[in-house]
Amino acid sequence: MTDSNLSRGAGRETRNSPRGQLVDTRGVKAAVFSIVPYGGPHTGRGWPLPIDGYSADAAQASMERALAQFEAADQLGFDWVTVAEHHYSAASLTPNPMVMAAAVAQRVKRAKIALLGSNIPIQNPVRVAEEFAMLDTLSGGRLIAGMLRGTSNEYATYGVNPAESRERFMEALELIVRAWTEPQPFGWLGRYYEYRTISIWPRPVQAPHPPIFMSISSPEAAEFAAARRINGGLAVTTLDRARESVRVYREVAATHGWEPAPDQLLYRIAVYVAESDGEAREGMAQMAAAHGHSGGLGLSRANPAADEAASRAGYYGRDTTRQRSRLHAGGDIDQRIETAQLMLGSPETVLGQVDRLRRELGVGIVELIFAAPGPDQARRSLELFGTEVLPRMRELG
Amino acid sequence: MDFAERFVEADGFKIRYLDAGEGPVLVCLHGAGGLRVSRGHELLAASRRVIAFEAPGFGSSPVNDRSQSLAELATTMLGAISGLGIDRFSLWGTSFGGKLALWLAVQDPERLEALVLAAPAAILVNPGPLPPPEEMPSFLFAHPERQAGAAPFPPEVEAKQRILAGRLIGSPRDPELEDAMRTLEVPTLVLFGTEDRLTPPELGRLYRELLPQCHFVIVYDAAHAIYADRPEAFAAIVSDFLERRAEFVMRRESGLLYP
Repeated sequence: MTDSNLSRGAGRETRNSPRGQLVDTRGVKAAVFSIVPYGGPHTGRGWPLPIDGYSADAAQASMERALAQFEAADQLGFDWVTVAEHHYSAASLTPNPMVMAAAVAQRVKRAKIALLGSNIPIQNPVRVAEEFAMLDTLSGGRLIAGMLRGTSNEYATYGVNPAESRERFMEALELIVRAWTEPQPFGWLGRYYEYRTISIWPRPVQAPHPPIFMSISSPEAAEFAAARRINGGLAVTTLDRARESVRVYREVAATHGWEPAPDQLLYRIAVYVAESDGEAREGMAQMAAAHGHSGGLGLSRANPAADEAASRAGYYGRDTTRQRSRLHAGGDIDQRIETAQLMLGSPETVLGQVDRLRRELGVGIVELIFAAPGPDQARRSLELFGTEVLPRMRELG
Repeated sequence: MDFAERFVEADGFKIRYLDAGEGPVLVCLHGAGGLRVSRGHELLAASRRVIAFEAPGFGSSPVNDRSQSLAELATTMLGAISGLGIDRFSLWGTSFGGKLALWLAVQDPERLEALVLAAPAAILVNPGPLPPPEEMPSFLFAHPERQAGAAPFPPEVEAKQRILAGRLIGSPRDPELEDAMRTLEVPTLVLFGTEDRLTPPELGRLYRELLPQCHFVIVYDAAHAIYADRPEAFAAIVSDFLERRAEFVMRRESGLLYP
């Protein structure tokens, strides 16, 4: 696959968006991310999580809450809304983010709809290509096609050997792009995948295909993405670790003759905005008292045996110690702010924290996990961000 | 794989066992129908030492009217295992032997590396009467026609085994055993077949609820004698579980089609 093959999706998107806006190299975009956590009762522990205490009504309400949040974000002018794939856990009710994205596309009329991602090594890649193409068509070309390896536990979900995760990822990604772009029916004779004939319908609206984002946290991933001009995402990380990931990404990009634009670099972070710094801090302290504060998603940690098996199989790659340590970052409120796991404060303060990510990492998209002590504060935080932070993010840089 | 027939003394019983393979020890406890070595046993013996005991009173051994409960029989069997000079071991029990295996486990959990319960009869919900011997094959096997090699026991042995198992099996829900299961910190694999009408697979969830380290697996197209209906699948998952325990949720098989 040539360099230009994968980059065109993103390139076209920035040059000529569906709204016809011109590229602005200044400013930072904002995405609202939700893994759609289950907000109801349950008594189980671990991963996979038993269904003990489950409430179907609560699950439906949780999905509706996420859709309403995305709808509000769209109306407030956020650039993207983002869903993701996780399995067998109350942490996320979107094991198939494609299904959620299809629902989102009915409610979110303007913002781009991102999936970060589909965990492509555990899926049928042709099916992924088909579903992404459906979503791009349904949404009128607003799809951001994130492709990830997923957390280590996901390899137990469908029985895929975690040792083969990275190779499957690389092959599946190329196959998906081919399935989107080959004009004639074709067969695929891969290492992990073999199809005698493929010709997907529909095809993506965005030409030649939707922008692709992938995680660049590990050095292997950063090198792979940079060599193919694939947009980079940083999540479940800290400023120091992200700085190192971006350094590798930029260095390898330079050797391939390109420089990542801000729009090609995304950083995912938790945020709570309130009227004042004091109020925000008080709210965060309430959350910490209620839930503790640990970094990361906790899915890998919830099954230490599975994570250990995946790690020993080579899932985390040559930088295993650092990569696994990302999952255990955490810290107190100040440490989490300092290490860029959390943005917290008044709109003014949070704007400064966004600007820090831009200055330190060159990030052009900040993907936000809205955390709040209660539903009213959550709505207010989104609103404050949308009305008082977001417009000023456009002027940064 | 040839199993050698041997005997060991415990609690005054002369206990017969079949022994094959080398490596870590897997002790096997048979169901109420008595000891038969299956293809499943043979496949497991390729990667470990498989010791299949015949509980006193089963097979051609004298009538056992001394063991008063499964708990007592479990103590005898632990003595037999010690008599072979075995300290740590894994344990697989089927049906009646599954309940016996749980009694061994709760009496001496420290010695157990892992526990495999295949269609265990430790917890029964509304159990019906045991089918007559001539109907048993259709309850044991999803595909009785594939079990050509399994010759039935003589009627007098069948009858003796039924009486003994019926006397020892205990109540369908045993509060003492279930309480002990709640704190049994031994990695346990519980298997039930989709075609099992003696211990239907819906029982599996009860083990999952009680045992702290329980992995529950439903075996497709197997009846009560899982190891005979699906020997390759049974041996593969048991072997992987015995080796890796909780880590066995991560597959090790390669998906590589072509290098």
